[in-house]
Amino acid sequence: MEVFLQRLVDGLSYGSVYALIALGLVIIYRGTGHLNFAQGEMALFATYCVYQFGEWGIPVWIALFLGMGVGFVVGAVSEVALVRPVSKKSPFAVFVVTLGLFTFLNWLDGAIWGGQQLPSSAMGSTQLRFPSLFPAEADALWNVFGVAIRQERVGILAMVLVISGLLYLLFNRTKFGLAMRAVASNTESAKLVGIRTNVVLMVSWGLAAAIGTVGGVVMAGLNSNVNLGLMFTVFIYGSAAATLGGFDSPGGAVAGGLIIGVVENMAAGYAQEWIGQEMKLAVAFLVILGVLLVRPSGLFGTAKVERV
Amino acid sequence: MMKRTRALTALMAAGALFVAACGGDDSSSTDESAVETTAATEETTAETTAETTAETTVETTPAATEWAVDTSLCVDPAAADAPIEGTLKIGSAMPLTGGAAAAAFAPVKDGFEAYVQYANEQGLLGDVTLEVAIEDDQYNAELTPGAVNKLIDDGATIFGGIIGSPNNAAVRDTLNDNCIPQLAALTGSPAWGDVENYPWTTGQLAPYTVESKVYAQKIAELYPDGANVALFHVNNEFGQVYVDAFNEIAADYGITIVADETIEATDQNPPTAQISNIAAAQPDVIMAVPLGAQCISFLTEVANAKAANAGWEPATFLTNTCASSLILTLAGEAANGLYTSNNLVDINDPASLEIPSVKTYVDYMASLDKSEIATTAGAGWNTAETIVAILVQAQASEAGLTRASIINAARNFSYTPMLAAPGVTFKMAGAEDPFLAESLVVRQYDAAAATFTDIGELVTEWES
Amino acid sequence: MNPLFTIRQGSTANWVLRIVVSLAVVFVLLWVPRQGGGLITTTIEALTLMSAAMALNLVLGYAGQISIGHSAFLGVGAYTTGIMVSRWDLSPWLTFPVAFVIAFVVGVIVSFPASRIKGVYLALVTLALGLVFPYLLTWKKLAWLTGGGAGLPNSDSELATTGFDIGLAQKGKMQYFEIFGWDAFGDLRKPEAKAAFWYWIALVVAVVVYLVCRGVVKSRVGRSLVAIRDNETAAAVMGVNLVRTKALVFGVSAGLCALPGCVIAIKTGGVSPEGILSLTVRGAITFLIVMVIGGAGSLWGPVIGALLYTFVTDKTGEWANDSAIPGVLRPLFAWAQIPPADGMFAILLIVLMFVAPHGLAGTWRQYSQRVVRIVPRPAGAVGAAPAAPPSDPH
Repeated sequence: MEVFLQRLVDGLSYGSVYALIALGLVIIYRGTGHLNFAQGEMALFATYCVYQFGEWGIPVWIALFLGMGVGFVVGAVSEVALVRPVSKKSPFAVFVVTLGLFTFLNWLDGAIWGGQQLPSSAMGSTQLRFPSLFPAEADALWNVFGVAIRQERVGILAMVLVISGLLYLLFNRTKFGLAMRAVASNTESAKLVGIRTNVVLMVSWGLAAAIGTVGGVVMAGLNSNVNLGLMFTVFIYGSAAATLGGFDSPGGAVAGGLIIGVVENMAAGYAQEWIGQEMKLAVAFLVILGVLLVRPSGLFGTAKVERV
Repeated sequence: MMKRTRALTALMAAGALFVAACGGDDSSSTDESAVETTAATEETTAETTAETTAETTVETTPAATEWAVDTSLCVDPAAADAPIEGTLKIGSAMPLTGGAAAAAFAPVKDGFEAYVQYANEQGLLGDVTLEVAIEDDQYNAELTPGAVNKLIDDGATIFGGIIGSPNNAAVRDTLNDNCIPQLAALTGSPAWGDVENYPWTTGQLAPYTVESKVYAQKIAELYPDGANVALFHVNNEFGQVYVDAFNEIAADYGITIVADETIEATDQNPPTAQISNIAAAQPDVIMAVPLGAQCISFLTEVANAKAANAGWEPATFLTNTCASSLILTLAGEAANGLYTSNNLVDINDPASLEIPSVKTYVDYMASLDKSEIATTAGAGWNTAETIVAILVQAQASEAGLTRASIINAARNFSYTPMLAAPGVTFKMAGAEDPFLAESLVVRQYDAAAATFTDIGELVTEWES
Repeated sequence: MNPLFTIRQGSTANWVLRIVVSLAVVFVLLWVPRQGGGLITTTIEALTLMSAAMALNLVLGYAGQISIGHSAFLGVGAYTTGIMVSRWDLSPWLTFPVAFVIAFVVGVIVSFPASRIKGVYLALVTLALGLVFPYLLTWKKLAWLTGGGAGLPNSDSELATTGFDIGLAQKGKMQYFEIFGWDAFGDLRKPEAKAAFWYWIALVVAVVVYLVCRGVVKSRVGRSLVAIRDNETAAAVMGVNLVRTKALVFGVSAGLCALPGCVIAIKTGGVSPEGILSLTVRGAITFLIVMVIGGAGSLWGPVIGALLYTFVTDKTGEWANDSAIPGVLRPLFAWAQIPPADGMFAILLIVLMFVAPHGLAGTWRQYSQRVVRIVPRPAGAVGAAPAAPPSDPH
């Protein structure tokens, strides 16, 4: 039982990161019907920026908000300058542009920060580890029914739930949210009723990248370093989460992320003979494949998802 | 074929090799706060080695029947026996670009080149001038054969210090077929001791198998009534070699394996689940073979698990590829008390500067304005030093300097390198002793002082 | 715009043009192996890369199905060679057809779900496939076959010391490569002979992949493909069997993509998920970039893309080191801590989507047609045309 609870908590905390990436994908999908392959790399670039702000002595929470700002700008500019102009041509062109962004941003991280895996004190780094947003010392624990629960993990989960709640309010209780939903359901009609769809789309991309940044920072904190490969597999888990939850359902994305995190962890733990560490990713692959074949709208999405 | 976009794989690979190549130089041996029991022995060894390492001497072992290479199998036997005059070009393939790999290995290359420059300045090879040509293979074994072909085309006489197991494996056929010495492969795979099939290929690092056995022996010493051991290893050749060697002799040392957990080399998630499984098995000892950044997250997770499981205080044995000062500093308090091993001195330790040869190295790096990388460049320096020592010995042999005499010298070799830990001698003797370094001293890390304490004496049991 | 010259297909001028181009190509192909050193090394890389990109082009450029998982098919090829030679001691030549067949079957299996999943969703599924594949190779349940994380030759086995190098004389393997008694390369243990040998294998594979792609594209299947790509519903109405056509093409594409994998395995002399980076998803992304830059849906596109990619990457490989950058360009690139090739190609990729979605090959065709245009023979003149041999120089 103890082990089960432990795995549940661990699964939920990794699932939180997947949920954040999935949320970004869903926000963009709802607005434009595009799948943003550069979602993980946008987050990674901003995460590197957070690392850089830390190097300059800025406390991690402030650095996080600054990083989200950077992410927002990267996302918004990408939409306006790159994605929007080619989206008139073909979905394939959009795919290629997001792929180009993916490669370019990863290269840019390497070009600026050298791509070294560890912050090196020899390279003038003052901060030894990528900071965690929450207490991460070995004894930062709570004992719940005899199970030691790490405060960091609980903090991450709580933060994701708060972000989801804020997004829910944004979507359902603000005028801007209403505009976003209008654009999501029918761009042309939204335009006709005077919604500035361009702004809505730009903000969607910015918002998506900013939320992804939180995911990147959490992941780097869990891993205590940031490196060029940090977001590859996270992106796939995030996509699996979005697929499972339904590509147009923010709540589904969060639920999907948490489910994938838990399932992956349980599968690797309990089915060690068959799945183990090496086939964890196969769980995500099978989820994507299975959901797309059997129920393309996912658990919570609407059935129109098959467009594109 | 795929070139630069490969951070994902290169990262971990780089981590692996970085530590594999540089892990050897960051531990101290002459720590003054040594445990009383070991202090006495340590003093005596320190004294004797201070003498032997005072200058770079080359001792030729007068073996009764010296191993000699058979050049009749060469593509061009005459070339293998042709005298080498004027310039001798040492070729190598290292990851110089490709993100993490390049960042990690740049110092190895610098150290390598620095020693060759030093050797030329000192005139160690008389009127033969050494030249270094290092091609970039980005730690991608696909690119190594091409890089080596290009170097052969450009006139490389011998190869040395190629980084990475798959990379060395990818070119050893070519080099052996053509009787070109492939010296000091910078990996600890036991594959480099195959004198019969690959006489022209020699390794530089202590074989991972030996290190694994040294730990098993030490565990038996610490737990005379038998120990329950949990294994944690990276799921690739590197991790597999350690674990296989450990499993092989575990029973002989009264060791019971109670858990075996793996991590994928490219996995970015910390091994939380694996360590909770290990904690559930409550082992006395964890024997761990992670890579690069995973060394840090492993140590952190173990510390977390200990905090969560009051009363469980396992000893941790960590591969020396993890034991670089950088990794251990990043791990901080979580690294306290871990056991590892080594055969070189710690350049950062002020006490090692009392060894004249170490001071020579540090001063020379300072004169090149490369003091800040002296620690990590040590592995490159040590590798080039070994190669040059082999060349010096070959030059002094009856045959003079030829490719054949170089490999004969390499395989009948005894030498105390400048940066060696007290008591360590690099030795090879034909098929009887195909490995250069098989002696290691087990050390325990003290996180507060950031120093190591020797646990017992140099283990020479697997030295042949 | 009217071109400067108009050449009629089958006319004397057309034949002269064809022969001149063919001779030039043949000359370059024969000239390269004589150069040795860096050029042949880079050319071999370009040849394997272009083979993979051409195979991908069949699925993506012609059938319009996005795949970021073709690295897995290349990996199937590499591992087929690895397993057959290393575990069962079979001839490396045998591995090419076997690899094709295995990858073909895998490709057909993949195509069934693929034909039901559209557009970027398929990209997502194949991306996941590409990411999972290297893990599949390390899976302990398959370790008896793949060697697990350690790869092949497995270091604990007997095979560790034998490898599967083709030129190893004392192992009784092929030391000379003879064609009807003619010793083609000399002693294959020599590095220059070995390089030439790899070059010719890679070249033959590239030519075979090209010819098969050309055959498929010009056949009925190819026309069905384009119809599917452009309008699936219309194609179905016209009587194209969607599932069967897609399965066939996906299979052929996968099978072809396995062939450069065999070449890489032979060249590297061992396979492991870490040792061969083309079989990771980064490989698949490179195939895609190369193909799109060269020109999706054009037979020569991947060839141009691969040559450009390999040679630019090679030339700029040292640019992380500022002193290696040529003077004029230094201020432009000196700040970057890694070589600029990836960034340059990413930018090129995006720019091409804006100005020339058909890639470099498409642009070349557009501009070259302003100079020379080759027009088909008038329909009525077929019988009157001189009886020319129907073969094509390429």
